[in-house]
Amino acid sequence: MEILLRQFQTKSFLSICKCLEPAYSHATSWTSGNAMLGKTLFHTSNTVAMPYNPPKGPRKWPIYNKKIFAPQLPGEERRPAYVCHMRTNIKYSPFKMWYVASMIRGMSVDEAIKQLSFVNKQGAVHVKEVLLEAQKLAVEKHNVEFKSNLWVAESFATKGLVMKGIRRHAKGRVGLVHYFHCHYFVRLEEGSPPAHFFFETAPKTTKTLLSEWVDEMRQRRIPGSL
Amino acid sequence: MPTMNAGIQVRERHTKHWAPAFKKLRRLKVQKVKLPNFREEDTMSELTPDQIRSRMKEQGILPPRSWMERPITISATGAVFEPYIPPEGDGKLSSLTLGGAKQSMEFLSKKSKSMLAVRKIRSFEDNFSPSTFAEEAQDIYIKAHKALVEKDYDTLHQCVTELCFPLMTEDLKMCTTRWQFLKSLEPPRVVHARCTDIINKENIFSQVTVRFHTQQTLAVYDRFGRLIYGSEVVAKDVVEYVVFEKHLANSYGLWRIHEKIIPDWMPAREPGRKTYVQQKPVVESEPVADTAVPATPTEQSAAVA
Repeated sequence: MEILLRQFQTKSFLSICKCLEPAYSHATSWTSGNAMLGKTLFHTSNTVAMPYNPPKGPRKWPIYNKKIFAPQLPGEERRPAYVCHMRTNIKYSPFKMWYVASMIRGMSVDEAIKQLSFVNKQGAVHVKEVLLEAQKLAVEKHNVEFKSNLWVAESFATKGLVMKGIRRHAKGRVGLVHYFHCHYFVRLEEGSPPAHFFFETAPKTTKTLLSEWVDEMRQRRIPGSL
Repeated sequence: MPTMNAGIQVRERHTKHWAPAFKKLRRLKVQKVKLPNFREEDTMSELTPDQIRSRMKEQGILPPRSWMERPITISATGAVFEPYIPPEGDGKLSSLTLGGAKQSMEFLSKKSKSMLAVRKIRSFEDNFSPSTFAEEAQDIYIKAHKALVEKDYDTLHQCVTELCFPLMTEDLKMCTTRWQFLKSLEPPRVVHARCTDIINKENIFSQVTVRFHTQQTLAVYDRFGRLIYGSEVVAKDVVEYVVFEKHLANSYGLWRIHEKIIPDWMPAREPGRKTYVQQKPVVESEPVADTAVPATPTEQSAAVA
């Protein structure tokens, strides 16, 4: 219901008549007048026919896409492009989505899509769709040259709407049923994925191994000594 | 459901309840809850008006009032009327050569239609003259571009019509622009003028084309500060035919940039630094005719057998 009402608020009346075709978001709307008028521009004002329903759900993630960085100096290293994308209120538990989201962290986009195609979870379908959308956005709107030159920098899921229902158990007892939804967020960054995304699984350098060994040796104490 | 796969029965379900006879009663234990459909927006564009009407009825929403009147303001025309056709090779010859001198001697006073339009403009604006207007036009041009670079859209609306505004701003919304007007190589010149009326005969719009030959630098950086077009250091000589429009019937009308005339013979601009994947042309393959397999064995198949 809210989604239909929202359509009438954000779009002009003229565009709604054209079977809810997308119109420009600003006040001016272009119409081609009749033969007498020729091709003229109509500057119209939006009329509020429907009550205002504020937008719900997370809205801060896509704002990262609007940040404009200052022009780089000639000697500076090229800043990698990134794109933030999300899908809200997926009918899937956030606890289950965690497994899918954490699986693809640090992978290249192609590898992530390949793996998700064969993960036996409903959430993987949604995550794969979001990745493909994000890839398309990156190429079309964020000046990423090669769609394969992207890797998953951030991937996480949070709790969405939770509706509660009831069920009966034996001996008149009542049980609560939770219908979980989750929001899924992803940030794709330009470039090849880092060699070791997780610090814990990265192989330790000889320097760190040596210093750790020395610390362990120095921690030794003789029990019961003075 | 058991399926037949080359004669072998395969059960696709790997689980089975220990008491399948009570499935219906077990189902009745849970109260069904109607969950909101968040994926409705994805299919919204594919709905027909009848489907939209039925959905609205389900949710109890009344359709918007049909007798609502909307105030419409026509503040700019949608195109250039009788556009100026620039002479070929304009700006390529130096004004010191004979050919170049001839080009610069293109007088507006020799064009009757343009002079009629100028007279029409004078009836609304007393002290309008092509020579003074050309200088004003250059000032508006510089002001508009400075506002565009600074993303000062209030000033830009004053300097540019509603047709021109999205053309100028749309692609640069997520970009940083650095533009410099170095100098004017030739004084700006009015080359064309036309007047038109929209709906009423009194509602007059005038369009005046001004020729600029200037030196400018332009550098465009993308959202991440990487250079995608031009250079901050390299100056370019620019020959432009800019159409300025004014709503004469409106007492608050202003001369604003409306359009730019780009002739076919103009050399192509420097290509941007971005590459694109070329879309493969859709080749309609010829329908393959089904060749009938002979029922009776042919000589070849008989030989194989």
